[in-house]
Amino acid sequence: MESYLKDPVGKVIVIGGGIGGIQCALDLADTGFYVYLVEKSHTLGGTMARLDKTFPTNDCSTCMFSPKMVHVASHANIEILCLSRLLELNGAPGRFTARIEKQPRYINEEKCIACGECAEKCPIKVPDPFNGELGTRKAAFLTFPQAVPLKYAIDAKNCLYFTKGKCGICKKICPAEAVEYDQKPEILQIEAGAVILSTGFEPALTEMEGEYGYGRYKNVVTSLQYERMLSVTGPYGGHIRRPSDGKIPRKVAWIQCVMSRDLARNRPFCSSVCCMYAAKQAVLTRSHEPDTQTTIYYMDIRAHGKGFDQYIDRARKRHGVRTKRSMISVVYLNPENDNLIIETFDHRLNRKKEEAYDLVVLSTGFKPSDDFIDLAKQLGLVTNPYGFLSTEFDEPVSTSKPGVFVCGGIESPKDIPETVIQAGAAAAEASILINVARNSEIVCEKVPDEAPMDITPRVGVLICHCGTNIAGVVNIQNVLDYVKNLPQVTFATDFLFTCSTETQQTIIQLIKEHRLNRIVVAACSPKTHEPLFQDTLRKAGLNPYLFDMASIRDQCAWVHGNDPEKATKKSKALIRASVARAVQLEPLYDSSYRTDNHGLVIGGGVAGMTAALTVADQGFHVHLVEKTDRLGGFARNLKFTLEGNSPPKLIRYLIERITHHPNITVYLRSRLISHNGHVGAFYGTVQNENGPVPIRYGAVIVATGGRPYEPTEYLYGKNKRVLTQVEFSKRLVEDSSWASRLNRIVMIQCVGSRGPDFPFCSRVCCAAAVKNSIQLKEINPGAKIIILYRDVRTFGFKELYYLKARQKGVLFFRYIPEEKPKVYDDNGNLTVDFTDRSLNRNFRVEPDLVVLSSGIRPNEGVKQIARLLKLSMVNEGFFLEAHVKLRPVEFTTSGVFLAGLAHSPRFIEESVTMAKSAGQQAMKILCKKEMTISAAKAEVDPEKCSACLLCVRVCPYGAPFLNEDGVSQIPPSSCAGCGICVSECPSKAITLKHCTDDQILAKIDALLEPTDSSFLFPI
Amino acid sequence: MKLSFYPGCSLEGMANDYCESIYAVFKTLGIDLVEIEDWSCCGATAAHSLSEVMSVILPARNLAAADKMGLDIICPCSLCFNRLLFSQKMIKKKIFHIPWHVTGDTRVLDMTRFLAKPSIIKLIKQCVLKPLDSLKVVCYYGCQMVRPPKITGYADYENPQTLDHISAAAGARVIDWSYKSTCCGASIGIGRREIVESLSKRILQKTQQAGAEAIVVSCPLCQSNLDIVQKDRSEPPTPIFYITELLRLSFNYKGNPKWFKMHVADPVPLLKAKGLL
Amino acid sequence: MHNSISDPETATEYDSCEQREFIGDRGDYFLNRIQGETGVNVSACYQCERCTNACPISGFMDIKPHQIIRYVQLGWRIRLLKSSTIWLCLSCEMCTTYCPNEVDVAEIINHLRMMAARSSITPKEKSLAVFHHTFLEELIKSGRVNEFRLMRAYYSKPDILHAKIKNGTFKQELQLAMTLLRKGRLKLSAPKSKAVKEIQKAYFQTRGEIS
Repeated sequence: MESYLKDPVGKVIVIGGGIGGIQCALDLADTGFYVYLVEKSHTLGGTMARLDKTFPTNDCSTCMFSPKMVHVASHANIEILCLSRLLELNGAPGRFTARIEKQPRYINEEKCIACGECAEKCPIKVPDPFNGELGTRKAAFLTFPQAVPLKYAIDAKNCLYFTKGKCGICKKICPAEAVEYDQKPEILQIEAGAVILSTGFEPALTEMEGEYGYGRYKNVVTSLQYERMLSVTGPYGGHIRRPSDGKIPRKVAWIQCVMSRDLARNRPFCSSVCCMYAAKQAVLTRSHEPDTQTTIYYMDIRAHGKGFDQYIDRARKRHGVRTKRSMISVVYLNPENDNLIIETFDHRLNRKKEEAYDLVVLSTGFKPSDDFIDLAKQLGLVTNPYGFLSTEFDEPVSTSKPGVFVCGGIESPKDIPETVIQAGAAAAEASILINVARNSEIVCEKVPDEAPMDITPRVGVLICHCGTNIAGVVNIQNVLDYVKNLPQVTFATDFLFTCSTETQQTIIQLIKEHRLNRIVVAACSPKTHEPLFQDTLRKAGLNPYLFDMASIRDQCAWVHGNDPEKATKKSKALIRASVARAVQLEPLYDSSYRTDNHGLVIGGGVAGMTAALTVADQGFHVHLVEKTDRLGGFARNLKFTLEGNSPPKLIRYLIERITHHPNITVYLRSRLISHNGHVGAFYGTVQNENGPVPIRYGAVIVATGGRPYEPTEYLYGKNKRVLTQVEFSKRLVEDSSWASRLNRIVMIQCVGSRGPDFPFCSRVCCAAAVKNSIQLKEINPGAKIIILYRDVRTFGFKELYYLKARQKGVLFFRYIPEEKPKVYDDNGNLTVDFTDRSLNRNFRVEPDLVVLSSGIRPNEGVKQIARLLKLSMVNEGFFLEAHVKLRPVEFTTSGVFLAGLAHSPRFIEESVTMAKSAGQQAMKILCKKEMTISAAKAEVDPEKCSACLLCVRVCPYGAPFLNEDGVSQIPPSSCAGCGICVSECPSKAITLKHCTDDQILAKIDALLEPTDSSFLFPI
Repeated sequence: MKLSFYPGCSLEGMANDYCESIYAVFKTLGIDLVEIEDWSCCGATAAHSLSEVMSVILPARNLAAADKMGLDIICPCSLCFNRLLFSQKMIKKKIFHIPWHVTGDTRVLDMTRFLAKPSIIKLIKQCVLKPLDSLKVVCYYGCQMVRPPKITGYADYENPQTLDHISAAAGARVIDWSYKSTCCGASIGIGRREIVESLSKRILQKTQQAGAEAIVVSCPLCQSNLDIVQKDRSEPPTPIFYITELLRLSFNYKGNPKWFKMHVADPVPLLKAKGLL
Repeated sequence: MHNSISDPETATEYDSCEQREFIGDRGDYFLNRIQGETGVNVSACYQCERCTNACPISGFMDIKPHQIIRYVQLGWRIRLLKSSTIWLCLSCEMCTTYCPNEVDVAEIINHLRMMAARSSITPKEKSLAVFHHTFLEELIKSGRVNEFRLMRAYYSKPDILHAKIKNGTFKQELQLAMTLLRKGRLKLSAPKSKAVKEIQKAYFQTRGEIS
């Protein structure tokens, strides 16, 4: 075993092509490893590809995900193996040999041009599994329009040629001669240093379960089916229709916790994401169909993520989503109209109430796929009783088999950002394991030299339908006809999805064919898609700066969704303006500079230490800056975890490793006081008691942690029998004889959380209360423990402990925020009054102790870090990540990453995972020898500069300086390209390249032109 | 084929017609029913409500008797079936002293599950001389036969199929509906007639909503609740058939409408209209 | 922004209640006894109200099924044994079947009914309680139960006839009985089981259990 790790293979097998697998593959391929991405179905995408929009931003899932899939597909160091499964894994960490079986697609991937002729002509229609069998597809099919690889396939189970030996139409008509009926399964032997499993989950509800009439009543659908019903690429083209009769449902109900939190069905855990997606689906339903009433039947709203509670609040108040705290047992059918009847007991009327719904959506939980269960057996992996590969808290991505790591939904049910974070952590572990083989197997991507181009601008305009995102509002044909007639436009066409991999190839062809030298894409938004198209230009041999984008989705179709005519008109104007600018564009060339391969970690808590080790273990030096006099951070407050793990032990282990690590320099009692430079080459100053220490670093990880909220309510600090959970837990451990004397205690949840001052849920407090009450019950089974809660949020497998606490007799009473419990001192008797609405009674308890579940607040001093590093924050004082779904550990400021409580309240294991992930993102910079910088930077014309120093004063990045010649100079590496100096310069001496005055004025002039096509361009 | 038969008290009284039809049907099918010798009451709800010991002992006496016969027990009454199974479960737990020698191993079948076995369905189809294909029915299972599933073994407790399969084998047009196992009110009518009326009338209303003309049952108590509640109804009656009555009809049993005279909701007009009598 | 996550409908669904219940230490004896005797972990309940939503007659009950469980947890024995719920329960097993926490609610209610029958508490639904007793008596007398004899015995119980006449149901029931008699459904006599002696013996052995 040892020998393999000295000489490992620099390749990794990632199994599962969903968001987890894709992120993992990118995080490895971008840090010098070759990746095999093994996917069992026809396309990458997994569950995320089936989602319509995502909470809490309501961003289109496809729009976010498609660029990522395209990136993977075009990555030189990622090899995608679709229709493949791992049969066998031999060898040891560092050098595994995998046997992989690849099923035939029956269409040659090399030859297929995805024209769709085969599907068009195929006579066989079958229920489409991708759409939850709500719609149909042909036996020759493409899973979804943005599939990667964008290749058709033949479903042999239903194809007439395979079942009856007849037909063969697709083979006859395929213009690329790609149909190959005689393809056979292939067995591939692959060597890899490590394996990562990211096989995801699938809905746990099957028709066999018979729950709520699923499979029996047509208008009862699963949440994933409903997701497809909302989607433009779904069975109903994005219009909500009910399956039985195609009518718009006017009343839709969601039933929560289907196949979740259900001991009776041996699924006693929570599926973590259903509350949020149900709220999202209800909100989307309300915006699709404002006249449709939406009701969510739930028992605890689990909105335990960053900003989730505000989302639920908006759903209720702004969007009018009804939520009813009542769990449903049976769904009945009214056969006269196919409506569904839900019976609840109405407390106010004291009778059963029947409510009819047009459609019922079952918020079903998740399970590992059946294939995974076989795979786990084959690999000898230890799973939990429910088939998931749950992990240990100090090794949150390691399986029971060395060298095999795990991430995503197969570890436990989780949402997209948690999956992305875990994927990064799994990549980090694999990367550490085979570190010495970095860069040994990678392929360098060849970008063609730029081709000589015509002097006169030849503008090509590509207009995107974005499914129906744009085409549903904007009249594309009308716009296209208009654009074709613009004098500067050489060529114009439209695409269903301009961002798909296949379209990129077409664009390259079109550029060459029409000798295009300016490209305008009219589509979503340059914020997300500009880099993708620029890359395509590069591949076509065209300078990537000869590109402009008109945002006709965000700025036309979306904002003018209710006025198609105006949206169409505005689309024309925006494209006209983009074309005008495109004509003015000139080729620019990026430059590069050497990377400083040191990392900087701010914060010496569990997250900071773990992040430091993640980088240091990959052979790079790390500066670890901690403001206090010791390492450990928030976790020092914790004595044990819900699952029985020991944070003190973890801290001891991390400190031990940190202090002896040759690659880590620890700065205690220190602060970062200055920070300059740019991604890959920062320099700053660490201030400690001995004075300032200058340091250089290529990437920063912010792990500034959090602190416990110190309550001011419920007599805390006034009565010594009122404690916080942290204090209570400490005492439990230190003084069990005290614990065994406690008769009665009351715990109050959401203290300092989920209130008007601090709307966040602190995520960990429910588990803390459950943990401490189990601990107390174990020491002192006779103690009466009353927990007053608002929603119990023991998500995932933590739900098992909530069950355990109840089984041990802990009493949970729900209170509503309008009726907070009252704690007072009644002549020396500590008294708690509260109201329970389930019984509709008021209670009084005289406990020995009141324990407050006080939440987590961000650490003090983070504002200084935010200013120094120019980072954004949310109102509550946590840092704001670059993108809540897909870039959870990054900042918009490049080269700066985020981990731990500084992001939001989280559990230790989650912080560890996040830190590893942040470390791995930093590695993407640190492992590079040089950084490339964009050419779109400000440049001073020394002839015009009057050295007034205005630019020096206004630049938020401190880039301009007065050079030896006495004029202003702006180093491109420091310039962020924001353009402030350009607009301030009184001498008009500064030009922002790629955003020149001429270009902007051309755009403005064109925008103001009359809408007929006879106007002249200001050339 | 031979089975030991536990009729239960109702089949000697109010559900005497049920009993007769069972014997007739099994005779046609060529299956011998051997009545458990000297059987006694299962204790029903009363024993269950008042004394746990009696709720185990009373059925156990019959199980003990059946043990001696060495045959599977067939139980037409849902409540008896449920009580026998409950008792078996408790016998295995060995909590109470049972005065009789009883193993708790003898198989207890509810009659519908026996009749719905593929082999018996085949047999039934062979015996059908007059398919009831003009008769639209819903099947009503009630509570005790299917719930709780941990005792009854009905995994499909919300949408059980046994009566549906048997009725379909008799040629009837079986309509699926949601109210197969909602409660009819059981024996609460003794003290609180209004509860039974509200529950049973609701079931009748849902039957009409489903477009069915009659209800097929296997439980004597369900039959009498759903039947008697129609006593003063002005609408045309919705006959409540025992499954074996339906089978007997389809077997073209040489008989006459007098069998149906025990029904409060008179099925004769409907059957005549359908050409089944 | 006020971050109120409460259910706006629930918040207005109740009247305010002034009286305060004191939660002391006394509940556990009763809870442990019920849990011990039934083998049901009542504590596992998370008050989701599936049972009450499933129950066909929760509207007729004074303490709803999910509240029954909470009352047991709190040890509110008297309130439970005095409730109408324990007598009204139809044993339809909906609550038990749909409980996600495997709390056998029907069994708990049944057990409470047995406890009530053995206690000195006057049952809230006397007519139902008396019926069960009468049924068992008839059973013990003949080994089998004949509906006619059962009803005859039932009506001769103190207060039953009186109450029925008073609330007007007697006339209805008499008419019904006549109809059934005419239809031939009421059998005036039925064979006794020869097992009577055995059953009586067993019954008397457990008599302490019954009343």
